[in-house]
Amino acid sequence: MVTRSDLAATLAQRSRLTPTCYSVRFAFDAAIPTAVPGQFVMLRPEQGDRPFWGRAYSIAGTGASDTQPTMELMIKTVGPGTALWEQLPLGTRARIVGPLGVGFPCLPAPRSVALVAGGIGLPPLLFAAHRLAGTDARCDLYLGAATAAELIEPQRCRAAAEATGGQLFPVTDDGTAGEAGLVTEALQHRLAEGRRYTAIWACGPMPMLRAATQVGERWDVPVHVALEERMACGVGVCLGCIIPTSDGAHIRTCSEGPVVDGSLIDWETAC
Amino acid sequence: MLTPDLHVNVGSLRLANPVIAASGTFGYGLDLDDFCPPEKLGGVVTKGLSPRPREGAPMPRIAETPSGMLNAIGLENIGVDVFCRDKLPALRERRAVVIVNVFGESAADYVRVIEHCESEAGIAGYELNVSCPNVSAGGIQFGHDPRTLEELTARCRVVTARPLWVKLSPNAPDLVGTARAAAAGGADAVSLVNTILGMAIDPLRRLPELARTFGGLSGPAILPIALRMVYEVHLALPELPVVGLGGIESGLDVVRFLLAGATAVQVGTATFRRPGVMLEILAELAAYCRDQGVERVATLTGALEARDA
Ligand SMILES: Cc1cc2nc3c(=O)[nH]c(=O)nc-3n(C[C@H](O)[C@H](O)[C@H](O)COP(=O)(O)OP(=O)(O)OC[C@H]3O[C@@H](n4cnc5c(N)ncnc54)[C@H](O)[C@@H]3O)c2cc1C
Ligand SMILES: Cc1cc2nc3c(=O)[nH]c(=O)nc-3n(C[C@H](O)[C@H](O)[C@H](O)COP(=O)(O)O)c2cc1C
Ligand code: FES
Repeated sequence: MVTRSDLAATLAQRSRLTPTCYSVRFAFDAAIPTAVPGQFVMLRPEQGDRPFWGRAYSIAGTGASDTQPTMELMIKTVGPGTALWEQLPLGTRARIVGPLGVGFPCLPAPRSVALVAGGIGLPPLLFAAHRLAGTDARCDLYLGAATAAELIEPQRCRAAAEATGGQLFPVTDDGTAGEAGLVTEALQHRLAEGRRYTAIWACGPMPMLRAATQVGERWDVPVHVALEERMACGVGVCLGCIIPTSDGAHIRTCSEGPVVDGSLIDWETAC
Repeated sequence: MLTPDLHVNVGSLRLANPVIAASGTFGYGLDLDDFCPPEKLGGVVTKGLSPRPREGAPMPRIAETPSGMLNAIGLENIGVDVFCRDKLPALRERRAVVIVNVFGESAADYVRVIEHCESEAGIAGYELNVSCPNVSAGGIQFGHDPRTLEELTARCRVVTARPLWVKLSPNAPDLVGTARAAAAGGADAVSLVNTILGMAIDPLRRLPELARTFGGLSGPAILPIALRMVYEVHLALPELPVVGLGGIESGLDVVRFLLAGATAVQVGTATFRRPGVMLEILAELAAYCRDQGVERVATLTGALEARDA
C-alpha cells in the first residue's frame, strides 16, 4: 500500500544555487513518510490559487532540524510557479503532497551506478547518492549544465559522489568548466575508456534522457530515467501527464513514473 | 452539541451525505484511497466508461487557467468489462456507493455499458455523460438536442431499474429544455454542470495549449455559472432532483449549491489540488450546520431566501 499524504509545512530556509536556481528547505508539522530517491512532491502555498495547480518537484533530500522533519527541494525559475518560492517570505505555510510516484529501483550487488544529471535534473540523483553512501554501491556523478555558472553546487556534488567511493565529472556545453560537450557524451567517453557500470540513472531534459538510454543500450547497461511532464494532480487521476511507450500504449508519468526503464519509452513520439 | 443529519435522498437513492466524487477526477473509486476512502463519501462517480477501452486524446491534454483548468483527455478509460472485473469487487467490499458514468458514440453504446453493469451487484446507479458527439447522427452532442436526449434517456431507462442520472452539458443552447427532456425520458435526476467549452493560447509559440485546441473548463472559475444553472433548472422543474457541481472547493460552496436547489453535489477539480479535500469539505459542512442550527442538511435544498425588492 502506498503512503502518500497531504502534508503541512513551513518554508524554513532558502539559498541561491546558480543565477537561475535556488534551494528551499521545508519543515513539516508532523512525521513524513519515507521517500525513495526519484520520488517527487506536489508543492503549493497554503493560501491562494495562483498558480492554480501545485508544482511537481523531485525530492533533493530529507533530514531533520530540532525535532521537525525537513525536505530540501531545488528549483529552477522558469515561470510563475517556480518563481513563487523565491519571493515568498520564510515562514510561509505550504502544502506538500507526497512522496509521489515510483523512484529509482533497488539494485542487486555489486552496484556501480552512473548518475547523470542535466541541469535541474540534479535533485533526485543527489538524493540517490546520499542514500547510497555507506552501502556497497559506488556512484559517479555526471553533472551537466550549459555553462560554469549554472553548474549546481559542484563541491557538494563532489563530496556526495566521493562518499560512495565514486567521482564527480562536471560537464558544460560551452566548456567553461569541466569537460566540454553534453553530459551523455562524457558518460560515453568514460565507458569507452573502460569504466563499467551496473546501472545508469538519469534526470534532465527529454533529449538527454533519450541519449542516456541510447548509451545504455550501446554498452548493455540498464538505464532508468526520471521523466517530467505537465501535471495537474500528481496522484494519478487527471490523466493529463501521459507519455507514450514503445508498445504503443502510454503511462502516467506521475504514477507509473516518474522513474521508468528508459527502454520502455517511445522516444520518437515523446521528444 | 448538535450532530447534524447529513443524509440526503436523490430520488430513491439514499446517500449518507451529499458530497460525491465527480467523474474523471477520482479515478475508478479507489485510486485516492490513501487520501479519501470512497465509503466516507456520499458516493463516487467513476471515470466515464465506454463499451471498449479508449486511448484518449493526444498530448497536451491539460492547461492551467485563472482559477481553473482546461482538459481534453478524450474520455480515456479502461472499458466497462475491465472496470467490472478489476475495480468493482474492491469497491463493493468497501460498501462504497458507486455511480457508473456512461458515455458512447451511439445510443447503443450507452445501452451496452448499462446492460453489462446490470448483472453486477454493488452499482448504485448510472450517470449519463451526454456531452459527447452522436457519431451516428452527424456528430451533434446528445446533450445539445432535447429530442435526441429524451430518446437516449428513454432507451437507457428501459434496460435498468437503478437510479438514472443525466449529466447535462452547460454548452447546450437550451438548458431547461434539455433538463425537461431528461426528465421526460425517465431520468431520476440531472447533474449539472459538465465542463464549459473553452480554449487557451500560448502567446509565445502562437499555439493552442491543447492538442485538441478546445477543452472543458472546470474549477472555481465556473462556479457562478454552475450555480445559476442549478438555480434555473430547480426553479423550472422543482420536482426533479438536481446534483450540482462546478468549482466546489469548500463546505460553504456546497451550501451555496444546496440553497440554489441541489439535492447533492459533486466535487471534481478541487481534488487535484488537495486529494483529501472532500473529507475537509464534509467537516466544514457539518460545522456550518452546527453553527447555523441546521439539523438536517436536506432542508437546505432550495432554501434560498428571496431578496426584498
Ligand atoms: C516529476 C517532476 C519532477 C520535477 N522536479 C523538478 C525539480 O526538482 N526542480 C525544478 O525546478 N523543476 C522540477 N520539475 C519541473 C517543474 O515542475 C516545472 O518547471 C514547473 O511546473 C514549471 O512551473 P512554472 O509555473 O514556473 O512555469 P510555466 O512554464 O509557466 O508552467 C506552465 C505549466 O506547464 C507545466 N510545465 C512546464 N514545464 C514543465 C516541466 N518541465 N515539467 C512539468 N511541468 C511543466 C507546469 O506544471 C505549469 O502548469 C519537475 C517536474 C516533474 C513532473
Ligand atoms: C480531467 C477531467 C476529466 C473529466 N472526465 C469526465 C468524464 O469522464 N465524464 C464526465 O461526465 N465528466 C468528466 N469531467 C467533468 C467533471 O466531472 C465535472 O463535471 C467538471 O469538472 C466540473 O466540476 P469541477 O469544477 O468541480 O471540476 C472531467 C473533468 C476533468 C477536469
Ligand atoms: S498528473 Fe494527474 S494523472 Fe498524472
